Amino acid sequence: MLETRNLDKSFGAIHVTRDVSLKLERGERRVILGPNGAGKTTLFNQLVGELRPDTGSIHLAGEDVTALPVATRARRGLSRSYQKNTLFDGLTVAENLALAASVATGNAMNMWTDSLAKPEIRDIVDDVANQVSLIPYIHAKVSEVSYGVRRQLEVGVALATRPLVLLMDEPTSGVGPEMAKGFHDLLNNLPRDLTLLIIEHDMDLAFDVADTITVLNYGEVVFDGLPEQARGSQLLKEIYLGSWEDA
Amino acid sequence: MSQDLGFWAVQTLNALQLSMLLFLLSIGLTVIFGLMHFVNLAHGSLYAFGAYVAASVASVAGFWAGFIAAPIAVAVLGLVLYVTLIKRMRRSGPMPQVLITFGLIFALLDLTRIIWGDLALGIEVPAILSGRVSVLGVEYPAYRLFIIALGAAIYAGLASVLARTQIGAMIRAGVDNDAMASCLGINVERLFFLVFCMGCALAGLAGAVAAPLLSVTPDMGLQILIPTLIVIVIGGLGSLKGAIAGSLIYGFVQTFGAALAPQLSSILIYALLAAVLVTRPTGLFPAKG
Amino acid sequence: MFRHTPLRYATLAVLAAGMFAAAMTAEYFGLEILTEIAILAILVLALDMVAGFGGMVSLCHGALMGVGAYAYAVLAAKAGLAPPVAMAAAIAISGACSWVIGAICARSHGIYFIMATLAFGQMAYSYAFDSAALGGDDGVSGIPRLDLSAIGIDLNDGQSFALFCLLALAAAYGAAVIILRSGLGRSLTGIMHNEQRMRAVGLVTWRVKADVFGLSGMIAGLAGVLAAQHIMFVSPGLLAWTVSGEALVVVILGGLGTLVGPLVGAVLFVLLKHEISNVTPYWHLVVGVILVAVVMSRANGVFGWIEARVARWQAPRVISSRKEQVKNA
Repeated sequence: MLETRNLDKSFGAIHVTRDVSLKLERGERRVILGPNGAGKTTLFNQLVGELRPDTGSIHLAGEDVTALPVATRARRGLSRSYQKNTLFDGLTVAENLALAASVATGNAMNMWTDSLAKPEIRDIVDDVANQVSLIPYIHAKVSEVSYGVRRQLEVGVALATRPLVLLMDEPTSGVGPEMAKGFHDLLNNLPRDLTLLIIEHDMDLAFDVADTITVLNYGEVVFDGLPEQARGSQLLKEIYLGSWEDA
Repeated sequence: MSQDLGFWAVQTLNALQLSMLLFLLSIGLTVIFGLMHFVNLAHGSLYAFGAYVAASVASVAGFWAGFIAAPIAVAVLGLVLYVTLIKRMRRSGPMPQVLITFGLIFALLDLTRIIWGDLALGIEVPAILSGRVSVLGVEYPAYRLFIIALGAAIYAGLASVLARTQIGAMIRAGVDNDAMASCLGINVERLFFLVFCMGCALAGLAGAVAAPLLSVTPDMGLQILIPTLIVIVIGGLGSLKGAIAGSLIYGFVQTFGAALAPQLSSILIYALLAAVLVTRPTGLFPAKG
Repeated sequence: MFRHTPLRYATLAVLAAGMFAAAMTAEYFGLEILTEIAILAILVLALDMVAGFGGMVSLCHGALMGVGAYAYAVLAAKAGLAPPVAMAAAIAISGACSWVIGAICARSHGIYFIMATLAFGQMAYSYAFDSAALGGDDGVSGIPRLDLSAIGIDLNDGQSFALFCLLALAAAYGAAVIILRSGLGRSLTGIMHNEQRMRAVGLVTWRVKADVFGLSGMIAGLAGVLAAQHIMFVSPGLLAWTVSGEALVVVILGGLGTLVGPLVGAVLFVLLKHEISNVTPYWHLVVGVILVAVVMSRANGVFGWIEARVARWQAPRVISSRKEQVKNA
């Protein structure tokens, strides 16, 4: 479903992505682990098109999308959520979801009809609000809801584009362990045919969701395999847990 | 051929003279923006105010008295504006700032009309600069050469202040990152105040210098505003290099455009501005990457 | 996101009734003022669409209005096109110019956007000023008004023309509301709040900006066509950047991003201008001081201030009724 081939990116002398090749099957749920500065978010930025890789290619559903702009990739089914909330703060939760849904349903450029009133958009809004537990806050302004709810909406906006592949950049960043657990239950309840690529900091939580695990260190894939293997891997402990304990 | 050369020499000097006048205006505006992120559309009105002060003082005490008095008077006006309005508007977005200073344009325009009336004032070029000097094979008015020299001197002075002195280093730090600068113990508020008054003084100086060349009218501030804005947007907001580059580009395009392609000259500079904005949205030499 | 509130409906009703009554009762001078208000109101509607709902603070809307006025003047008075055709063409031309400006400036933000639009406006101004074909400094005169004698209306009559302009204002308001409530208008508001995210969910943001800017330019062009028909003469002064600046002032005095507020602002601005001009020749000073005071007060203009007051007055009632519900439960 989503594949990268030999992705490479440097900022001046700093090599942030080294020869990264990943392959996600349809419906696969992969968690990317790695210490701070391992290049996880930079990899996401290249996948969605906010950054251009120096070399290598990105394929979505069998098609090369390396040269396509962000918006085109999003319409082809590649959606992302951000580590730092990137929402429409002055608008309501429902309006946030509806904006994304109106793009997905081809209503975003329509000059005549009210997109908020369209049944197809309302259906998506209700559906997504249900999936990420936003129903109680649906008419509240983003600026008035709690941080945790905004984290849910962050994923909700990405889901409302009806993606094939959803990239989530630390969906639980900044929320307490209790809520993070609830968040993972929520991810586990997403439709099984949706492909998920998740950056996660907390290993235990990652194992809740992951079918497969990729570990990045210094921009390089140092581990790629099943969670069980990851748990026992000595290499992983040294690289990842070592620096985790340092931090 | 010598006639041709003479043409080029005169046009070049004209372009330089226009550039230096614009430089005096744009440097204050651009550094105020770079440091404080404040867009002062009333900068042109301060220049008109300076021209009026210079004309009034000059009629009593001679050109040089006006030349000294104008920057001081405009700096004082700037001080008043800073304390009453601008200090409070610093943190608001570009829109309120544009509007506040737009309101100031209106108010200052009518204030100058109330004080000095609607008639244009004239001011004599001082005797020592009234003649013509032979440069590059042409006879050129000494006063215009004086403007070129003054602009160049002020550029050199500001460049060395910015590059070599403590205060220059503080200003550069402030332009780069004012939050960080204040963490380093720099009194950013006082720095802003100082820079704002300096910028105003330079606008007043530009007014005094321009007064003998142009007639002094209430709307002279409005007329100069657009060229000044074009200069700083082409050059890139916040940098000395941008201000001088933008001024030279404007001066040369405008002067040679008018001489070589009169039909196109008026839209040439706007087209250039549009081209710069499309290719380099933050100007040629922005203060920040 | 734009929506009508009871307060907005009420204000619209008062404005409509007041303007209609004025049109029916006013003498020559009153009708002139009313026409001036209607034309300015159309222009500021166009500006509020992009500035208040898209964050695109344009300083070229006066020039876009001027493009509409000149296009109509040249097509109707010089090329001899029938006024309705010239009108439609003029609106299309200002819309097209506006779309191009919007597309070019879409990458610029904040002060750079303001400057870029200012540059385009000045470009049009300089062109009109220097072009012999457009009459240069003298402008174009002998502009005909629309001929509605077929349905028994003579627009050369001041009252009929004032009513015609009010009708155009109503149409422009309707169009603005439809656009702002459409998918396109909602997308624009999304861009204003977070352009990066709109792109991330798949929107080609520059197209949305350009499209709305173009539609707004058509409305500004309509104002220009009416202005040309009103004074039957156009001059480069119509395109000066101060016209755009004044339109922005009206939007701010009225209430940015409320659509109804700028209408209130247009009424107040024109009335104030005429009242102050009767007393003193220095009306710019008064307007300048008022503008500074309004911006310093941090209220969103006159109408925005009223809306905020009404909201504050309503808020405690909502809370207390919720408390009662809790008690009852």
